[in-house]
Amino acid sequence: MSKGSKDRAVKARQIVAEQKARERRRTVTLWTSVAVVLVLFVAGLIGYTKLSGQDDTTAAATAPASAVDDGTAFAVGSGPVTVDIYEDFMCPACGSFEETTGPTLKQLATDGKITLRFHPVAILDRFSNGTAYSTRAAAASAAAAEAGKFVEFHDALYANRPAENTDGLTDAAMLELAAGIGLTSETFTDAVNGGTYKAWAAQATEKFAAKGYTGTPTIVVGGEKLTGPNDTVPDTALVTETIGKAAG
Amino acid sequence: METARQSRMAVAWPWIGTAARVGLAAVWLVAGSLKVGDLAASARAVHAYDLMSYDTAKVVGAVQPFLEIALGLLLLIGLSTRLTAAISAVLMTVFIAGIAQAWARGLRIDCGCFSTGGQLAEGVGTAYGIDILRDLAFLALSGFLVRWPRTRFSVDGVLLGDR
Repeated sequence: MSKGSKDRAVKARQIVAEQKARERRRTVTLWTSVAVVLVLFVAGLIGYTKLSGQDDTTAAATAPASAVDDGTAFAVGSGPVTVDIYEDFMCPACGSFEETTGPTLKQLATDGKITLRFHPVAILDRFSNGTAYSTRAAAASAAAAEAGKFVEFHDALYANRPAENTDGLTDAAMLELAAGIGLTSETFTDAVNGGTYKAWAAQATEKFAAKGYTGTPTIVVGGEKLTGPNDTVPDTALVTETIGKAAG
Repeated sequence: METARQSRMAVAWPWIGTAARVGLAAVWLVAGSLKVGDLAASARAVHAYDLMSYDTAKVVGAVQPFLEIALGLLLLIGLSTRLTAAISAVLMTVFIAGIAQAWARGLRIDCGCFSTGGQLAEGVGTAYGIDILRDLAFLALSGFLVRWPRTRFSVDGVLLGDR
């Protein structure tokens, strides 16, 4: 064999090897891509399935019998203007709203000027070190409502509002607060310990989000969301003024 | 002829890529696992961007954490790195656009990038600039891997018969 033909043979083998390598790369790329798409599809499907399961649980939740407004709120008074307050029991801004404006609103409800509707929601579960205080507190407040002591229990929870990023009040601590306002029935205790209204709390929170509300406290007067300047929580003066206007 | 500098780069390059791949995998795994435990909160975070109906946001919020974890795992093992990096880049671009529009419209939200975000409480500042810068850095990692997808310790490498 001459040197030239040997070179040609080597070159031919090289070309074949390169072609084979290219082919292999193409096959590998194709199948790994298919695998990736499949894995991502399955992952998405898992999420979707979880969502449907969750939807079924929240849809199946039984609303407390005393709840109004599609089973999401507890009403005080029966005045002509409806004032809705959406609150999370761990939310600091809700705590300060309750402190400053809460008494005025309760007085207006007592005077028959407004219907005050408290909507407990649980959007701050992530701030209680995994104990889901927002959900537990909202559920407990529903149990208190069933015993006819919603407002008293609500006020007690805000008076003892835990800071964000703490464990929140334990169920036992909430029962103790309840005992302080004369709420000691077995039904109530069982509902708190058994988390009877937790699914309801999730459902109420979902209805809150579906209305397009994203933060707490959300104050709604006569069906209109009320905010202070620069998207802040409205102060007492603004709230009473708006109620006055709504009453006409 | 390779110069000494080029050959040094040739050795270092796949290692830089490997670091980028593992780093991006960690980003997805952390982002996904922080959201996966509370899908309702994830839905609210998506909804806070005010870009879609609540029902759509619920689906996006539920699917997203699982996609993020899956992407993280795929990048970690290095399967079809170019494709997973490209998908990462697309997602990062979408996130940046979402944060930018929230910023432009003056929405006050927590981006939810590494948490189940949502509307911010009173007096808490938004951090849109930082969030966008961080996502841009992740976008750069993804871009690097799209351009140079061959990295060490990857399934791709094993399948293609790299050393």
